[in-house]
Amino acid sequence: MTIEILFPEVCNLYGDLMNVEYLRRAVPEAEVVKTSLKARPRFLDGDVSLVYISSMTERAQLLARDALMPHLDALKAKIEDGMPVLATGNAMELFIREIVDEGGGATPMLGLFDLVARRAMERRYNGLYLGKFEDMDIVGFKSQFSHAFGGEDVPALFETVRGAGRNPEEKREGIRCKNFMATYVLGPLLILNPPFARYMLRLIGAGDRPPAFEKAAMDAYELRLAEFKDAKRGFTYG
Amino acid sequence: MMRKLRFLLALWLGKCARLALRVLKRNATYFPGVVALKICPDFLGQVGKPENIIAVTGTNGKTTVSNLIADVLTDRGHKVLSNRLGSNVAAGIATTLLSGSSLSGKARYKTAVLEIDERSSKRIYPYLKPKLLVITNLFRDSIMRNAHPEYIASFIEQAVPRETKLVLNADDLISSRIAPENERVYFAVDRMDTDVVECVNLINDLQICPICSGELVYDYRRYHHIGRARCRDCDFKSPEPDYLGTDVDTAAMTMTVTDKQGGRAVYPLLSDSVFNIYNVVTVAAALHEFGLSHEEIAGSLRRTKIVETRYNARQAGNVRVVMQMSKDKNALAGSRAFDYISQLPGEKEIILMMNCMEDQKKWSENTTWLYDCDFEFLAREGITRIVCTGPRAKDYYLRLLIAGVPEEKLRCTMSELDAPDLLAYNPGESVCLFYGTDALDLVYKVQAKIIRCAEEAAAK
Ligand SMILES: [Zn+2]
Repeated sequence: MTIEILFPEVCNLYGDLMNVEYLRRAVPEAEVVKTSLKARPRFLDGDVSLVYISSMTERAQLLARDALMPHLDALKAKIEDGMPVLATGNAMELFIREIVDEGGGATPMLGLFDLVARRAMERRYNGLYLGKFEDMDIVGFKSQFSHAFGGEDVPALFETVRGAGRNPEEKREGIRCKNFMATYVLGPLLILNPPFARYMLRLIGAGDRPPAFEKAAMDAYELRLAEFKDAKRGFTYG
Repeated sequence: MMRKLRFLLALWLGKCARLALRVLKRNATYFPGVVALKICPDFLGQVGKPENIIAVTGTNGKTTVSNLIADVLTDRGHKVLSNRLGSNVAAGIATTLLSGSSLSGKARYKTAVLEIDERSSKRIYPYLKPKLLVITNLFRDSIMRNAHPEYIASFIEQAVPRETKLVLNADDLISSRIAPENERVYFAVDRMDTDVVECVNLINDLQICPICSGELVYDYRRYHHIGRARCRDCDFKSPEPDYLGTDVDTAAMTMTVTDKQGGRAVYPLLSDSVFNIYNVVTVAAALHEFGLSHEEIAGSLRRTKIVETRYNARQAGNVRVVMQMSKDKNALAGSRAFDYISQLPGEKEIILMMNCMEDQKKWSENTTWLYDCDFEFLAREGITRIVCTGPRAKDYYLRLLIAGVPEEKLRCTMSELDAPDLLAYNPGESVCLFYGTDALDLVYKVQAKIIRCAEEAAAK
């Protein structure tokens, strides 16, 4: 089993990379490949169980986009073919049509999905997230300068219960296409959601193995879930 | 004319507000500026400003550095206006400047030393035009306010006036590249015994060459991205320092600072922490650029004698009780504190209560920082037990398991006041309480209980 982390030298914000470490704890034999911006992605030349890409700076979004652009057709084919991909935080925006800055121009992205992100660098959205993935509750955090719009035909990853979806008016959150999964929810998503981690483990071929420290993870998850379901609690910060 | 009148009204009402708050013994360092800026949005532009302004900003050390600069200047006989003990955002700077001006709005001081919040740059620098801007460093900070250090660098970069001279940290390739067209000097601390080459921290915010995206190779690294680096693929490298700290001697508490012109002096260290070693060389560089000699600066520093304690420790029963503050929701502060405490001699038991209590009241703390923070340091030898407590105790517990701390060393209780009961108080050890800054009453109660438990354990 091989898990490929794309561009960890620039895609490493907010503890996102611990998602891969958490999977590896459950599957110690998994090989973790770190692909730098200047290297050829492993998924092009062989089977990779999961491609992971984390939150990054706005400048890194351009570097990551440029690194993937030459392989766009191959990436498309792999996604069509069912290759598992997980993109957290603003890594999702690599795969959409463009990012439009408030009072500024549009930055074209890879264009695999017909969504547009609108970005305001002076206003950061900070919120909690509660949603559904199939029959699982998903909890998480959002902290971002942009929201995504459009994409009526693009299937969502999560169905939002509380908090912002692709944008604050939208219930659909993230993107799901075959086993390609992207979400604005950032940070240690799999650690915060052991049921979702269990799903990911099965998806990447680890069978019915439990996520690492499952009991402790479930304890923390259930407490957070109860807090996030508490209607008296605020959901957006500041 | 209207503009002038509005300014004077703002100034006088601001002064009245300040006077009233001081009479009431309330904090008078912020609100008067709010009043002044409300009445006259251009207040910072119109109020009289000292001729020589030294501004200090950066993620870590800005308070210590600005206090030391002000202390040395005061010791040299300068009359210094500063926002020490005050607010470092626009309203705080407005308060400081209105307090330092006459009733007609003229500056009563020739010199000011101002600590400035990085995010407030745009609202302050265009009016202030500091002679010197000292940037201590830029690190990853609160996710919600600060996003990432490149973002904060862009705030400063967009606001710093062209004529301001920059005093920059050559060992920080994030902050040292700000406003490249401005006149600048760099400071650095030479190789130290404790340096590493590979990053041992989770947070490492500059791993690629800003020119060609090649891998950065470090000659030496203090921690995180701080150190001396060069690109593997092109000729980009850390700037040459104009002020270099060498021969750091933590036994004698001294360091030599040498400048590019060959001037040098032995400076006193204020503590053995790397942050404070940087603070001294930063102060030396800033004040030498201001026009003081090394002898004057070092001499005054020796007289100011602010010896910083890294932590507060006291004996209770058979153990030492160590209080270690660690700014809540701040991964870097946590990493530095864990690194330091885990390397103290002897065995340690730890209580973690760095929860953000304010967030807990309103919503639920964003805990992503736990996975940026080096909890792995707490898996080091010598730490015999860790009690996780507070509303996020279960998150700490899970994080510590992932960090490699064996389950048998861990305890967990949601109630902070029950946490001290879960320690063993083994004779000779240290009991360390890590706490955030926003629930100090509770922290003191827990501390008192630890002391009581330690004394009871000793009596048995
Ligand atoms: Zn280069």
